[in-house]
Amino acid sequence: MLRKTFLPAIFLLLAYGFTVSADFKIITAGVAIFLFGMLSLEEGFKTFTAGTLEKILKASTNNVAKSMTFGIVATSIMQSSSLVSVITISFLSSGLLELASGIGIIFGANLGTTTGAWLVAGFGFKVDLSAYAMPMLVFGIILVFQQAKSLKGAGYVLAGVGFLFLGIHYMKEGFDSFGQTINLANYTMTGYPGILVFTGIGVAATVVMQSSHATLILILAALATQQISYENALALAIGSNIGTTVTAIIGSLGSNTDGRRLALAHLVFNVVTGLIAIAGIYQLMVAVEWMSAHIGIAADNYTLQLAVFHSLFNLIGIIVMLPLLRPLVRFVEKMIVAEQAAIEKPKYLSDASLEIRDAAIEAVEKESIRLYDLATNIITDGLSIQRDALESEEKLKYVLKASTDVIDEDIDDLYERKLKALYGAIVEYVIRSRGGYAKGRMKEELTGLRQAGQHVIEAVKGVKHLRKNLIKSLQSDDSVVRKEYDRLRKLVLKIMRDIEVVRTTGIDSESVLPLDRLKLEIEEKTRQFSEGLDTLIRKERIDVHTATSLMNDISYCRDICWDLVEAGSVLFSESLPDERDAMRSIALGEDEIVEMMSTADEKAAR
Amino acid sequence: MKIQKSLDKLKDILSADRQAQLKKYKSLKKVLKLLRIEKKGLEKKLSDATDEETRQEISSSLKVISMQRKKGLRVLRELKEEQKRNK
Repeated sequence: MLRKTFLPAIFLLLAYGFTVSADFKIITAGVAIFLFGMLSLEEGFKTFTAGTLEKILKASTNNVAKSMTFGIVATSIMQSSSLVSVITISFLSSGLLELASGIGIIFGANLGTTTGAWLVAGFGFKVDLSAYAMPMLVFGIILVFQQAKSLKGAGYVLAGVGFLFLGIHYMKEGFDSFGQTINLANYTMTGYPGILVFTGIGVAATVVMQSSHATLILILAALATQQISYENALALAIGSNIGTTVTAIIGSLGSNTDGRRLALAHLVFNVVTGLIAIAGIYQLMVAVEWMSAHIGIAADNYTLQLAVFHSLFNLIGIIVMLPLLRPLVRFVEKMIVAEQAAIEKPKYLSDASLEIRDAAIEAVEKESIRLYDLATNIITDGLSIQRDALESEEKLKYVLKASTDVIDEDIDDLYERKLKALYGAIVEYVIRSRGGYAKGRMKEELTGLRQAGQHVIEAVKGVKHLRKNLIKSLQSDDSVVRKEYDRLRKLVLKIMRDIEVVRTTGIDSESVLPLDRLKLEIEEKTRQFSEGLDTLIRKERIDVHTATSLMNDISYCRDICWDLVEAGSVLFSESLPDERDAMRSIALGEDEIVEMMSTADEKAAR
Repeated sequence: MKIQKSLDKLKDILSADRQAQLKKYKSLKKVLKLLRIEKKGLEKKLSDATDEETRQEISSSLKVISMQRKKGLRVLRELKEEQKRNK
């Protein structure tokens, strides 16, 4: 119930916000662009997973010291700890990094980000993120359109960073009015109440602006103009350090378990560091004074002293937390439990039936039929046809007319989780049956069922290939191409329906080998498709490139149908074993069907 | 002659291989008989059918059955020869 109402509630809330405030629109658009950048970055890093970047990353982040250095250097260059933490989450999600190394980078990023305060306080340097975003997006998108995988990957990364910058820029733009209206001078307070209140303000301001850098710039400006006291400025800096973790938490929303764990570790580290800084703020102030005097910072240069303070308390945080890194990893692993991908497990295969011939055969048969059923669901999804179309009696042309939208299922994922795992279990069971020495009928039956499973797998693989162009055709305005792909979908669906009929009515009720008739139909239909394609090319109603794709897809369609029929003829033959053997011995193969068609052609020619 | 036939029968009963072969032969014959019945039924249906689409469908099925029977008869012949060789 809560799940069902959550999304509409969010939509309504957002819609209300859009009508009320223009700033809100910009801010949420910024968040959306930011999250899109995150997805693009992940896509880019996935492209690099098996390539050079992985080696560089492994070399630079294979131990905590190296990852910390990576975090310090990367954050100093990019001037955004948020971005580094977001990139680290992407690395983690793509499997490029271990969690401990990721946390190491975050530790380093926290120290690296303090260089920002040094740069601003020292040189007034400020990076305009939007100035970087535009060229990054342009170059990135051009690269995305390139054929080479490495260039494509680089394009996604570049565009991803560009979108992140743009997203942050819009968030800042949206909150600009907030930033202008916050008058820090009105809140000057002394003692611990002041420190706590200003830490809170720092957290809130950073959460609102989505950038600790921006908060720090505000603090430094206020401090330089003496709008706030030095003590309150330090508290604000502590607050901004805690608030910055929100960016990482938002970044982790679209990522996997490890990404969310890293965001939690980031939060824990920054909160612990913040608490240490708050507890020892007066001692730290003394230390800063002492250090500043030694490195030649004037006693009244509070902005640079703030930079020293910022670096010092983050360094203390690292010193405290580094020995606790492993317990921290364990803690976040315990807090955020990995989601188990729903891998299909066998229902009927049990060790108990392994040694009993008939029980073993029946178990494999039932499991193989289950595999077939799962496959037909994936096939209908892959062809973007509603699943109930298989059982319904609605005419195929109406089913296809109603199935014009792409069914957005990850077929590769379904194949991996549902079919491959189950088929693997069947194969293993067949190998183990009778201690791996099954003989006679048992061996024959089990081998037949195993082959049927292989046909099922091949059929789904064919659909995976066919789906690529099929989706394009569904989304295209070209009615000729769409019609051709509809014919392919129609044939596969018809074959599946006919197999279902055989399955429910039984093989020897009216026809002895009904599935052989389907084999002839497959050959005749696919031949018609190919001939029709030739006509379309001749009449220039279809370009050669599309025609080539269609030729391949006709071939895939033919193979899918053949595989389904071959699987069906093993799985749904209900007759006695001896009769089944006899039927199988006279069932027609591809060569015989083709030969039959050529004979018919010759006769027609005469 | 009668003694020879009786001996062959006894051999068939005693040998597991020959039993299996015999079973195979009988099953195939049964399936071929079923196919013949199916063929006859379809031929009758074809002569009654007026709709072109149905006629074409029945013709296709008949073609397939003919091919299956042809294959089946070949397998049956081979089995018979094998049986003779084993005698």
